Amino acid sequence: MPSFVPTSADTLEDQRLYTSARLVEVACLDCLARVGVKKNSEHHTSIQWTAEARGHCPELNRRTGGRDFQPACRRLVASIEAAARDGQVPIGAEDGY
Amino acid sequence: MESSTRMLDHGTPPERFARGWHCLGLADSFRDGTPHRVEAFGGQLVVWEDTQGNLNVLDGYCRHMGGDLTQGTVKGDEIACPFHDWRWGGDGKCKQIPYARRVPLRARTQRYPVVIRNDQLLVWHDVEGSEPDLEILPPVLPGLDEGLYTPWTWEVVPITDSHCRELIDNVVDMAHFYYVHFSFPTSFRNVFEGTVATQYMESKGRPDKAGGYGSPDLFLKSEATYFGPAYMINWLEVDYKGFETEVVLINCHIPTGPDSFTLQYGITVKKPEGIDDDTAAYISKKYAKMFGEGFLQDVHIWKNKVPVQNPLLCEEDGPVYQLRRWYEQFYVDRADVQPEMVDRFEFEVDTTKANEYWQEEVAENLRLRAEQEASGEAPEGADDAENPQIMSGT
Repeated sequence: MPSFVPTSADTLEDQRLYTSARLVEVACLDCLARVGVKKNSEHHTSIQWTAEARGHCPELNRRTGGRDFQPACRRLVASIEAAARDGQVPIGAEDGY
Repeated sequence: MESSTRMLDHGTPPERFARGWHCLGLADSFRDGTPHRVEAFGGQLVVWEDTQGNLNVLDGYCRHMGGDLTQGTVKGDEIACPFHDWRWGGDGKCKQIPYARRVPLRARTQRYPVVIRNDQLLVWHDVEGSEPDLEILPPVLPGLDEGLYTPWTWEVVPITDSHCRELIDNVVDMAHFYYVHFSFPTSFRNVFEGTVATQYMESKGRPDKAGGYGSPDLFLKSEATYFGPAYMINWLEVDYKGFETEVVLINCHIPTGPDSFTLQYGITVKKPEGIDDDTAAYISKKYAKMFGEGFLQDVHIWKNKVPVQNPLLCEEDGPVYQLRRWYEQFYVDRADVQPEMVDRFEFEVDTTKANEYWQEEVAENLRLRAEQEASGEAPEGADDAENPQIMSGT
């Protein structure tokens, strides 16, 4: 069976919950990037960038594409860890999101 | 029915096929002077090599009276229709109608721009008819042209009753690697950005499903990236009892209809130092067989599941919604691509709880097996010897 477009309004609410609920803004300690962060546990991390934030990251902008394009920026990762330690990012999930 | 009952939203099918580069197969497989038929995008394509060595791809049906060009003949640089011998060039124009005084000016058919990349024939598909976007081609694999890798083994598997998004969903599906492919994913990350989506995974084989490559001695480091909607390169570092092999798996597909696609996968192995070509080719074939069986495990699930537009997730699941949001960019007009479809997104799954549970389950399975063996019964899972123990990317 094929699939794609939601046929229920509840699905739109699910999309919102899973993609944007609980995102907390975290500023990078080394550049002007500000990203949305969610942590369901100490080890789980979700990072939502915007085009504006992406434009600020010198580390990612240095990458040339192909295979080395995707790995995380270590400075941002360190900034998120610091924010989590400071209690700025709550740790723990709601109902699976 | 209680209002709190969770309902499955099956959604409605997309009305188009994805925009992007699609791989039709190994380029050399089309170089024999005959027309080849490739089912694609709800119809069929004709592929042939001209006298210059270029590969050409056109819609498979003649614009005159609908003759099947794939059953025609290559004449010079053109494909000739078996019905009335109309001759079509690789640029999509009718070059000659031998029985006619002149060719109608409007005699142009659908052509698909092609690129040869990593020995494979890629075509550009876009319902909006845009120029091919060379910027988003999959990267060239270093060392391939220099002969550092074994020749490709290449397999083609038609899949019916499933939309190709089922295949894409695997990019974020951490837990199925344990249940469907019998491995422990110990580390699992995703990054999506622009037209690229990656899964990083580290895993090891399940000892309770041992056989073949399955073993607690087997470790796998995998980096699997979709370059566009239909072409994945999976870089794999396999460590088996300290013997390291570098494997490259291509996992690509061509949509053929609203709920069918053709899966193709290719394997090449970096020739280990001190190993002759025949042995390297043998290793490559072994891996191809293993991944082939892995795909069949997926196919069995796809064929029997229902589509679900509103998956219900737990904390240990990957970012299905974000991946689908990324994937949707290929199904809307360029002008309708939203920032959130292409904005960078990173995700790391916490595999701790899952692996604690799985280790216990596997330990229990091993204990039961030992008991059965001690009592002389055939151990359960003895027929699992054929199952691949490592699977990645999909």
